[in-house]
Amino acid sequence: MNFYTIFIRRARTIFYLMLALGGLGVFLAMGFFFVALRDLPQVPEPLSRIIETPPTEIFAATGERVMVIGGREAIPLSRVSPHFIQAVLAIEDHRFWGHHGVDKLRTLKALWVTLFKPGKVEGASTITQQLAKNLFFTYQRTYMRKFRELLVALQIEARYDKGEILEAYLNQITFGVAAHGIEQAAQSFFGKSAAALTLAESSLLAGLPKSPTRYNPYLHFERAKKRQRVVLSRMAAVGYIAPDAAEAAMHARLDFQPQSAGTRTGSYFLDVVLRDLETRYGPEIVYHGGLKVMTTLDPQLQAWAVESIQNGLVKLDESMGITSGHDEDNAADINHPQAALVALEANSGAIKAMVGGRDYSETEYNRAVQSNRLPGSGFKPFLYYAALEKLGVTPSTVMVDRKIKIPVAGASDWEPRNFGGTYAGPMILKQAIMNSVNSVAAQLVERCGPDAVIDVARRCGIKSPLASVYSVALGTSGVSPLEMAAAFATFATGGIRHEPFWIRRLEDPLGRILEEQIVSGKRSLDAGLAYQIVDMLRGVLDQGTGSIIRRLGFDLPAAGKTGTSDDYHDAWFTGFTPTLCVSVWVGFDRGAGMRDTLGRGITGARGAAPIWARFMILATDGEPAREFVIPADILMEKVDPKTGLPAKDWTPDPMAVAIREGQSPAGF
Amino acid sequence: MTDWMNPQNFSEWFRRLLALRPILAVLLISGVTILELRFDWIERALGAYLVTTNAERPESGAIWEKGRQSLNARKTLEQIVTDRQASQREARNATSFKQIAANVASNQGVMLSSDHFRKLYLNLPREIAREILSPFELLRLASDGLWRRTYFKKAGEGLTVYLLDANNRVLKQLNIFPDLLPRLGHEEVASDGVLEDLPNFENRIYAAKHFFDALQTFPEEVRRTMVPHPESLLELPGQITRVGISDETGAGFIELGFEIVNASQHRLIVVQGQEWAVWRLRSLLEENRSGVEITPDAAGDRTSQ
Repeated sequence: MNFYTIFIRRARTIFYLMLALGGLGVFLAMGFFFVALRDLPQVPEPLSRIIETPPTEIFAATGERVMVIGGREAIPLSRVSPHFIQAVLAIEDHRFWGHHGVDKLRTLKALWVTLFKPGKVEGASTITQQLAKNLFFTYQRTYMRKFRELLVALQIEARYDKGEILEAYLNQITFGVAAHGIEQAAQSFFGKSAAALTLAESSLLAGLPKSPTRYNPYLHFERAKKRQRVVLSRMAAVGYIAPDAAEAAMHARLDFQPQSAGTRTGSYFLDVVLRDLETRYGPEIVYHGGLKVMTTLDPQLQAWAVESIQNGLVKLDESMGITSGHDEDNAADINHPQAALVALEANSGAIKAMVGGRDYSETEYNRAVQSNRLPGSGFKPFLYYAALEKLGVTPSTVMVDRKIKIPVAGASDWEPRNFGGTYAGPMILKQAIMNSVNSVAAQLVERCGPDAVIDVARRCGIKSPLASVYSVALGTSGVSPLEMAAAFATFATGGIRHEPFWIRRLEDPLGRILEEQIVSGKRSLDAGLAYQIVDMLRGVLDQGTGSIIRRLGFDLPAAGKTGTSDDYHDAWFTGFTPTLCVSVWVGFDRGAGMRDTLGRGITGARGAAPIWARFMILATDGEPAREFVIPADILMEKVDPKTGLPAKDWTPDPMAVAIREGQSPAGF
Repeated sequence: MTDWMNPQNFSEWFRRLLALRPILAVLLISGVTILELRFDWIERALGAYLVTTNAERPESGAIWEKGRQSLNARKTLEQIVTDRQASQREARNATSFKQIAANVASNQGVMLSSDHFRKLYLNLPREIAREILSPFELLRLASDGLWRRTYFKKAGEGLTVYLLDANNRVLKQLNIFPDLLPRLGHEEVASDGVLEDLPNFENRIYAAKHFFDALQTFPEEVRRTMVPHPESLLELPGQITRVGISDETGAGFIELGFEIVNASQHRLIVVQGQEWAVWRLRSLLEENRSGVEITPDAAGDRTSQ
């Protein structure tokens, strides 16, 4: 057998083998086709039907639309900037106008890379295939899914013209959390219509669908710019633009909308609204029902709340020696203190602003409602009310600030200490709450019992579990900032409790009312006693532990209470004017307490009160001074803060106290 | 002879390769491939075939699922709105608090205008109306111009009524306790006494037989406007002996008093008939009136015969 014979035989064998393999391939492909055909989804007609779902819209109290869920703002292709169309085609599928659903050359190349270059996988999906995948398939990576996607793409190409396909694609791609479709994206990122997008804007947006989170320009601007460069290079490479035009676009200024997808107005607040709606109506109605939700949110107050929190935390970071760490890769590793703020309308319970953390894009955990933290002395107003009500004491009743030891049945004695470790001797109750004296508070709770304190807290709207122990009066049971704000509002309204709420009205897509909030209050506290607490808490701001509020420049009539838990884990300030009640909490999510670089603890007055003050200064700017309504049975008397007796001309530093008619400034 | 399957040398193999059939086969395969690359006919053929089978294929996949969810959501919302509108409609047509109470569902209240509430209030017997809300308080609320709407909701077995301003703030909250609810329908207010005890009835008191004979002459639908809920009269034990028609009218209604005797105990129940209908009835009764004064005893004698 000579060389030729061997060669010919081998060539023949290879030929027949290839023929057999080819035949087998055709046979398998046919089998695959008929198997795939069985569960192949029906394609809707017309294709525009894919964007018919009405969006659920959430509105602020001002009427401003603050969130849109689902739905698509579909626009015809003629209303999309040609720059954007070219950018998308260049980066996604530059042979779009020529192929019939599948780009064979690109597919072969991708197949070659995937099979013969280990560790590399190259995609070759055309725009039609991407549309098919987005409409019908999951992101599960299987050959069958890919094949079905291909078949649907072929059907779409056979049924619709290229313009219709491109239009459907552009109206459904996702650019980020809040932007679906090019019109919404153009509005969200640049505040303009899709028709008005420039080359620079178009190239940036066209790069986002590959990974909207990774390339979110608000969070990762540099990454987004790198992606933009890739898009512009592709546009130049395929001949849509000249290289110098690409370079110019790369350096063109991008004017982003101030409200980004990552930091939409009131994200924490909106989460609360959505969770509430989901609980009552179910996710299907919330996300697919096209609801119109009119909320209580005040966007301006919300912006000031965010600003106050961020400003306060930056200062806190500085005093604690924590680096700002805005390096994208390391930011998550640095343990920053967090903060929460809730502002509600005192005489209705409507929540006007809510911030649940330092930065929603970093953590969606809402500390304003989900986190129960120890309020410390911030809980004392409930104790003092219980004492006024149950023990018949008055704000001028004299107690002795001294070291005390309270026996506890079945446990070791309770020995609460004052914050500074010193004791001031006799003082009236108003002075005691102003200076947040623990020993006096302990004596009061020993006499009236923890259950009386818990009862008052419950009447004011505190719903979290409260342990029936003496120390509950000093805030050793966790509560949320929302609870604290709502509970303190009961004092602000003279004892009328309003349930906090965030939805004013709910409508269906046709504007028919599904529910509306009835703003009703319930008398929970006696008006006279509530005013006595208000007057004592005014003292906290004017001369007591919260006097930093006045030093920071907030001078309207207001009342409030600081709170600090053991080892400075939590710093609180909850306070109110006659119309607005605000609670601020600051602390680490877990771990150590807060101390400055000198080792001094961060108290409510140092950590939370400055945030409260800044917010209130902004929120009440230009408002007239409104006094708290004094009930008819209340008289203001000046007394000696040490003896509680009516002040004489020669009494040093007399203190005004609210006394009810018939009461006399009496000792205890 | 050389086996055709097994050419022995290269020239033989080459000669066979360049024969007509292989060349035609190669041309055919190349043609098919080039045509596919040029005209995408396989994709077109498959696509066209799939278009023909589209209608028979399942509505599956993300977009259809979304469509179904949207449809379900719309249906559920429609049901909620329909229920709400139905109870609102019934409430708007209600002529008494009792009808409102019957229509308020435990999970959904009803909203009425302030004017409608005033009409319902005026339809109540005075003593019940006073029990619910002092007319002076109502006057105060009406005069300060803030009261816009009224919201009724179930509160346990009773009813809570909120008088609201334009921002849905509660101006006044009324609690209608369960024991009061059965007395809200005007026709069911039963109390001890005779018709002469009520000054507005003393001029027009008729024997029950006389009254019902006259009533009988009217068609059923007119009788219903004169005595809206005759069933409630049947619920009380005893016998109706006399019927009085009030001299006073209010909000389009006239009161009718029914005196019932049960084991020598006289009781009164007051209902409201529509003014225009009661006027017709009264005219008929007056035409046929004998002129003899009908006393409780006389009526009792007559009915006992």
